[in-house]
Amino acid sequence: MYDSRSSASYMRRYRLRIMLFLTSYVIILISNLTFARNGAEHSQATLIGLALTTAFPIIGMFWAIFRLLVEIDDEYQRLLFAKQTLWATGITLAIVTVWQFLNVYEVVATGPQWMGVIWLAMLGISAPIVRWKA
Amino acid sequence: MKNRLKILRAERDWNQQDLAAALGVSRQSVNAIETGKYDPSLPLAFRISDLFGLPIEAIFLRD
Repeated sequence: MYDSRSSASYMRRYRLRIMLFLTSYVIILISNLTFARNGAEHSQATLIGLALTTAFPIIGMFWAIFRLLVEIDDEYQRLLFAKQTLWATGITLAIVTVWQFLNVYEVVATGPQWMGVIWLAMLGISAPIVRWKA
Repeated sequence: MKNRLKILRAERDWNQQDLAAALGVSRQSVNAIETGKYDPSLPLAFRISDLFGLPIEAIFLRD
């Protein structure tokens, strides 16, 4: 018989990992920005270290998401989640492409930024799109 | 692909959750297979076949 706990267990692990990385991201971001803007001169190596440690939790979230794809033991749910990641990737690429040309034609001052964060936001938006009528 | 899953389930007086539990998948997966939105993999089709004691071609029908 099906152990209903096993299907919930991969989601529990996923939520725990996401919460850990998200909490780490907020704490590290605030701490690093506060340190970086304390008025002191920082070496290049220090600034690189700050950038890498801030990026780490975001990379961790990507790992948690793709790890979920491996751990889902329900093939239909895996298909839906794979579709969700593809939708997120497609929408993000579209946003970034438009943003880039807005920058090329000098409509906006800066080119695409925060792509990882945009992708994560699009992953959330993609969930109801994929699961609607699923 | 069409299938007789809903009929076979009803004959045994199972709801979708009962079948999902017996197969080790979510109720949403059973619903997707029954309504023809999703064709199961061969391993899952064999599990369904074993559960009902019928050959795969007696459950899943050619379009």
